[in-house]
Amino acid sequence: MFHLLPYRDLPEDFAERHRSVWVTIPSELYDPARGAELYNESLDELEYAAALGFDGVCVNEHHSNGYGLMPSPNLMAAALARRTKDVALLVLGNSVALYSPPIRVAEEFAMLDCLSGGRLIAGFPVGTSQDTSFAYSANPATLRDRYYEAVDLIMEAWTRPEVFSFDGQFTQMRYVNIWPRPLQKPHPPVWIPGGGSIETWGWTLEKDFLYAYLSYFGYKRAQKVMDGFWRTADEKGVERNPYHAAFLQLVVVGKSASEIEERYGPHCEYFFNKMLHVWPGFREAPGYRTIDTIKAGLLGQTGSFGDRPPSLRWRDLLDQGNVVAGTPGQVVEQLEHVAKSLHIGHLLLLNQIGSMPHELALENIRLTATEVLPKLRPIWDGQWEDRWWLRPEAARVHATV
Amino acid sequence: MNRRLLPLRNKFEVELLEAGKGPPLVYLHGIWDADEQAWLERLAAERRVLAPRLPGFGASTGERHLLDIHDLIYFGLDLLDALGFEGGPLVGHCLGGMLAAELAAVQPGRFSHLALMAPFGLWNPACPAPDFFSAAPDEVEGWLARGQAKPVLLTPNDEEQAIQAALARAKSMSAAARYLWPLPNHGLKKRAHRISAPTLVIWGERDGICPPQYAYDFQQLLRGARLEVLPELGHLPHVQQPDKIARLLGSFLA
Repeated sequence: MFHLLPYRDLPEDFAERHRSVWVTIPSELYDPARGAELYNESLDELEYAAALGFDGVCVNEHHSNGYGLMPSPNLMAAALARRTKDVALLVLGNSVALYSPPIRVAEEFAMLDCLSGGRLIAGFPVGTSQDTSFAYSANPATLRDRYYEAVDLIMEAWTRPEVFSFDGQFTQMRYVNIWPRPLQKPHPPVWIPGGGSIETWGWTLEKDFLYAYLSYFGYKRAQKVMDGFWRTADEKGVERNPYHAAFLQLVVVGKSASEIEERYGPHCEYFFNKMLHVWPGFREAPGYRTIDTIKAGLLGQTGSFGDRPPSLRWRDLLDQGNVVAGTPGQVVEQLEHVAKSLHIGHLLLLNQIGSMPHELALENIRLTATEVLPKLRPIWDGQWEDRWWLRPEAARVHATV
Repeated sequence: MNRRLLPLRNKFEVELLEAGKGPPLVYLHGIWDADEQAWLERLAAERRVLAPRLPGFGASTGERHLLDIHDLIYFGLDLLDALGFEGGPLVGHCLGGMLAAELAAVQPGRFSHLALMAPFGLWNPACPAPDFFSAAPDEVEGWLARGQAKPVLLTPNDEEQAIQAALARAKSMSAAARYLWPLPNHGLKKRAHRISAPTLVIWGERDGICPPQYAYDFQQLLRGARLEVLPELGHLPHVQQPDKIARLLGSFLA
């Protein structure tokens, strides 16, 4: 289960009154007392998902952002490590280009792997333009090169047994020697969360990392991106193992269409119309995307700067596949279609959406975990090896009190 | 005007505009893809104008080798060598003004005169310059030429040309970000005391990109600099009124 930790109480007229939910969101909209509740409720939700049988719980890094209150996902994962036993902890991830030196991430991820008894899945996103270049001031023109170098350094720090020096373009270190070391060998599985930049595909495949396409716009629009990923795999002679890819989908489960619309509809609309109300100029710091990716985008769309997506209603969200909604049977059927059409072996499900109250989120999690997941799990059984999941030989050590 | 590609250090190809006869003058452009033809022609009336495009701008390549302001400064020194520029006036606008000031600090003996038009290079917290990197095009147009109706940027009507212009713009703003992100202050203040060439600072009073307060900050930093703050003009004074600015410059160089 994927969790963003959204701020659930933005005012009704937020999108009309404010330029962006990200980077410049006014601090007076944040109530710390409410924040304290949200952090604890969100951890409860993730722990509940773990207890009911989700294979993994997933946290992620965002900054200056009303829809994601986890500047440090590692703190969340540390809390989860002590309160869960068998579930995978997916930190998707740490924006490695933001940390100087980036071995801070190698160390913290190694700590999390030890704390959890070998349950960490390590995510290395380039990071959004909003997070990296605007909220954290990283130079967008060099961000991607800095990112590649940081990932190389972390992988070396995890796997090379000797003390070594590193002479990079962005990081120089006389002594690289991290204590602790990750429990999983040779290292925790590495997932690369991406937003559809075409240059990420080839690199991810070359490194044999998993590609996780994080889109809020549903499986229908994801087809083009995932087709592009698999075509790149073909070109590189990499087999189309569905476990090599993951996809994020918003899901709500209920009893009937009208009940679902009534209970979940407003919270999903809140997510799309308020939480994604991002100033277009923040999405695209100059140099964040390569000219090739910009070209691919420009040729495929006619929108110009400043075009905000139109306000979306519940019906639109269903029609476009942004939200998969229905009875357990209907959701199973749709998610099977998602997995097969995108050819993915790992589904990340967002069950806490927008302004959804805690009790309703728990209900959605329960229905998904107990009535949907058992039927989805066997989809690819016996056909492929999952080389991007927890290394089973790692000792499962955990809290004893 | 003559246009050619100048190879440099096996890393760069520099697009060079050349015009006029006589003693050389080097002009370094800003980041806006504005139409500077009239301006360069005025300058070329009395001198040989050398106007290279910086890496990432126009047809010039090699920006990935330039990671920070120091790389840019040393690129600039190599470029002057490649141009055979031994001495004479150095003129810069916007980012080009910032680079011109840096070069004049590194090699103070090389330049007979320094002219800076709305240069970047300083940050004044009492007068923060706006974030043009994230702003909408109409906001940027407004800041470039406040109160002026005529657009100062090149905006083709043809769709294919507009796409090419958008790509070129993405590329040049990305190159600009290398030296202007997150703020346009990359340490010039620590080096400016070395500048010894007579200096002219030109600023449009309606400049919303580099607010005119910075004109006074530059004047204070470069003691003895002559300052011209021009009413009615914005961030691109030489594009808006090429005759007037060329005359001002001419009298400074005379």
